[in-house]
Amino acid sequence: MKKAIENIINGLKSEDEVSVSVALDEIEQLSGLTDDDKIALASALALLFYRDHVGMSEMISLANRAEKQITRFGSVVIPFLIDELVSADAESCAHLGRAIAVNGANAIAPLLDVWNRKRTDQYALINLTQALAYFRIPEVLQALPEILVAAESDNYQLSSNAINAMGKLVVRIDPNLFDEALRQQMFDISFARLSDSRSLVRMQAARTLGKLMEKGLLTNTQKERLQTAYCAITGKDGSNDWDDAYIVRHEAKCYLPLLKTTPTSVTHYQQSFKILSKRELCPNTFHYVIEAPLIARKLQAGQFIIIRPHELSERIPLSICGWDREEGHIEVVIMSVGKTTLQMNEMGVGDCFKDIVGPLGERSHVRHYRGTCVVIGGGFGTGAIIPTARDLKALGSRVIGVIGARSKELLIMVDELKAACDEVILTTNDGSAGIQGFVTNALEQIIKEEKRVSHVLAIGPVPMMQAVCELTRPIGIETMVSLNALMVDGTGMCGACRISIDGKTKFACFHGPDFDGHKVDFDQLTKRQKMFVAEEKQALETL
Amino acid sequence: MSEKSAKKSTELSNKQRMALSFQEMSLLPPEERVKNFEEVPIGYSLEEAIAEAQRCIQCKKPDCVDGCPVGIDIPAFIKLIENGNMADAAKKIREKNFLPAACGRVCPQDKQCQAVCVVGKKKEPVDIGSLERYAADYERQHGTLELPEIPPATGKRIAIVGAGPAGLTCAYELRIRGHEVVVFEAFHRAGGVLVYGIPRFRLPMDIIDEDIKFLEKIGVKFVYNMIIGKILSLDDLLEQEGFDAVFVASGAGLPKMLDIPGVNANGVYSANEYLTRIYLMQADKFPKYSTPLYQGKKVAVIGAGNTAMDVLRTAKRLGADTTCYYRRSRGEAPARTEELKHAEQEFLNWRWLANPVEFIVDEDNFVKQIKCEKMELSDPDTSGRRKPLPTGEFFTEDADTVVLSLGCDVNPMIPATDKGIKTNKWGIIIVDEESCQTTKRGVFAGGDAITGGATVILAMGQAKTAAKAIDRYVRG
Repeated sequence: MKKAIENIINGLKSEDEVSVSVALDEIEQLSGLTDDDKIALASALALLFYRDHVGMSEMISLANRAEKQITRFGSVVIPFLIDELVSADAESCAHLGRAIAVNGANAIAPLLDVWNRKRTDQYALINLTQALAYFRIPEVLQALPEILVAAESDNYQLSSNAINAMGKLVVRIDPNLFDEALRQQMFDISFARLSDSRSLVRMQAARTLGKLMEKGLLTNTQKERLQTAYCAITGKDGSNDWDDAYIVRHEAKCYLPLLKTTPTSVTHYQQSFKILSKRELCPNTFHYVIEAPLIARKLQAGQFIIIRPHELSERIPLSICGWDREEGHIEVVIMSVGKTTLQMNEMGVGDCFKDIVGPLGERSHVRHYRGTCVVIGGGFGTGAIIPTARDLKALGSRVIGVIGARSKELLIMVDELKAACDEVILTTNDGSAGIQGFVTNALEQIIKEEKRVSHVLAIGPVPMMQAVCELTRPIGIETMVSLNALMVDGTGMCGACRISIDGKTKFACFHGPDFDGHKVDFDQLTKRQKMFVAEEKQALETL
Repeated sequence: MSEKSAKKSTELSNKQRMALSFQEMSLLPPEERVKNFEEVPIGYSLEEAIAEAQRCIQCKKPDCVDGCPVGIDIPAFIKLIENGNMADAAKKIREKNFLPAACGRVCPQDKQCQAVCVVGKKKEPVDIGSLERYAADYERQHGTLELPEIPPATGKRIAIVGAGPAGLTCAYELRIRGHEVVVFEAFHRAGGVLVYGIPRFRLPMDIIDEDIKFLEKIGVKFVYNMIIGKILSLDDLLEQEGFDAVFVASGAGLPKMLDIPGVNANGVYSANEYLTRIYLMQADKFPKYSTPLYQGKKVAVIGAGNTAMDVLRTAKRLGADTTCYYRRSRGEAPARTEELKHAEQEFLNWRWLANPVEFIVDEDNFVKQIKCEKMELSDPDTSGRRKPLPTGEFFTEDADTVVLSLGCDVNPMIPATDKGIKTNKWGIIIVDEESCQTTKRGVFAGGDAITGGATVILAMGQAKTAAKAIDRYVRG
């Protein structure tokens, strides 16, 4: 084994393109590598990034293949890669940056660590900012404060790299994760750089501002200021004093038309509400992906939609468990509990829901918490906690997910929740998976084991939410619950969803659906949900 | 009809006209109508319509026109009816009001045109509402409606938020000025309160559908399931979607609830919820339509406005023993005279000067009884109003369904999602009275969103004002 690795390393170091290529092929065959092996191989692979490819056209693709191989080694090589990165040349910096960014959240902390140590080494910071531009995960926002400082640096390379990284993040990360203050800061810093003495910095600033605008992160006033600035850069303001650098004018010219309004036809607002995929999670419970581009564009964690599946049916409020803004999809979990949900679950891929309204309700309460956040889901609520969990984690909190069900087969959305949390704990009443008992048993355990629990979110059947609140109330842990009240319109018009919160009547659709669980009148909620029990039974009989 | 009768009628002197007898519109008999949702007033026959039209003395300076929020040339259209020229009469009304069939039925004429009718000073005023309805129905039944000519496209685009009376009127007014108009509606069908709030026995559904079709024919575009403020913000409309102006007619969506024990009991509805379940979602045809409505044997309706009358009469038609509770007396009931009169014919119970203080519930939180305090009216204060005063005497009656009909606050969706839209302390959107322009540039508002709950015709009047201002604004 040792021998084989040595041979490969020698092959990689060879001046002969064919030998390098063979060595790259051989790496692919290797298995059972130790961490030391991986690091040794990675450093040999990384050398390929520095090779001069002038006159060796094959070298470019070999370097790309080397980059791909490095990413296979996983997070163990991250420290090595970052070490390499800080002193890399421009070409290798790109390869190393991408190889680091592939590791996602795992790479953020070590990167920031090195940043802290190399704070005075501008060359290192130039490369570190470039690497940050390759990340596609919301956790990279933790590095944004550093990027913003770097953007104001006197070193033009650092400043332009940082502004570029800012623009990349804006494109790659959910715009809703940038709060108002952050938006303002990004705009102000970039806007100031439009008058930098270096054309490279001005160009990056013009481009990043364009991206901020494109992603809807600018206010009207900011857009107006940007329009004036772009007009001045391109000479459209008639002052005959345009920017002398073509690259800057070019950026401004690209984004200027987007600032002007473009007429759209009404078909643009028609959503098909077509079912794109359907999968059974457990008996009577299905996960759907539905085409609804306008809703997908605006959804935020904690919000809900109302579906009217066909002409004769009622309006059913549903929690959202995910969305894809680019593709224009929304995801819901539908559990058959009554006539309408049964009818919905009879629909299949290609069928269209008659009407879907949304997004409705307020966004979940999310911010950065110092202590651990616990998100708890039961039944239909299991999917609903995922978007909020993702947001909490993206803002740098430690998030533990808890799912409860009667038995193993009824545990749903486990993998999806795992992807959104740092840790997931399962509970089943019969002990067939995870902890035997209820979600509250898991929560008790978490409270005991974690240093501090700052925030709890519970979504699911009323008794479950109530039990969670009773547990956290005496120890004073902030607890939010999402109320799945009866609704008709969902916009505050009818008041069917009203509920006593701290003795005051609130509308779940408009003021909620998330409320401080310690203030909810659960007894009233339980009884109000039984308002139409007789009618629901009668409706089921007509099926 | 003819020239001959037309000539004959012009020969009538004012004195003769004043002597003619009032043509009361016939109604379905109460015993029959409380068993179905048929329209209650049957409508004039041709002869009745002409006879009523003859009662108009064609004032030189007609007060009725000033009394109409949209300024219909009332004497002119009545003259056309008198001459048997029904299609032209409808056309005349349409110059100012493109929802004549609805307005003829739901306008509070007794507080508007008919209140100032000169004939009314001595006798019954001319029944302008019934005549308007007659002309509009004639037009619909005989297909005489002509599509207005739309001038060449101006290239300006206007977004309308809400497809209720104000939104529809504004859409019409802007479309006939050559602008492109897109109406965004939150529900799955257009009409707003005309669909979800006004009972079919007062305004049959096909009338609204016709009006919507008419708008579609002249090129107004409708998009449903769109809650502006959520799916698209006002800024989205103005910036990214390329609209030159927005008219907000989102209505008075937030029902007022009482702050008394039991208000959140099962079986206690807002009038909005009760009526929406039945008229928009068709819960009266449950279980064919899946929206449920729990209604017990004894229904208590709180309030005595037009909506309360609608709820009372609806509950009666669904078979309940129905009672109205109002904290003032009959004289102060805000419902229009005709509604109150029709309701009183329909075997309802009335508890005037009764102020609910508690809804008594069973262990499952279902309402079982209503407890009221008896009230008495104060002497008129400086404003002339008589306030209800508590007497300290209480009574309790059975009720297993309660509907609160206490009016609405403004739907907060738009102001809550756009900081540029300022409201007063009641949540009403602040507008410039002359132009209906809000505090946000390019955004105008009308209807209940700026009044906090008024009538269809008032909303239409504001929409016309706004349309004129929007037209000026987009043309720069």
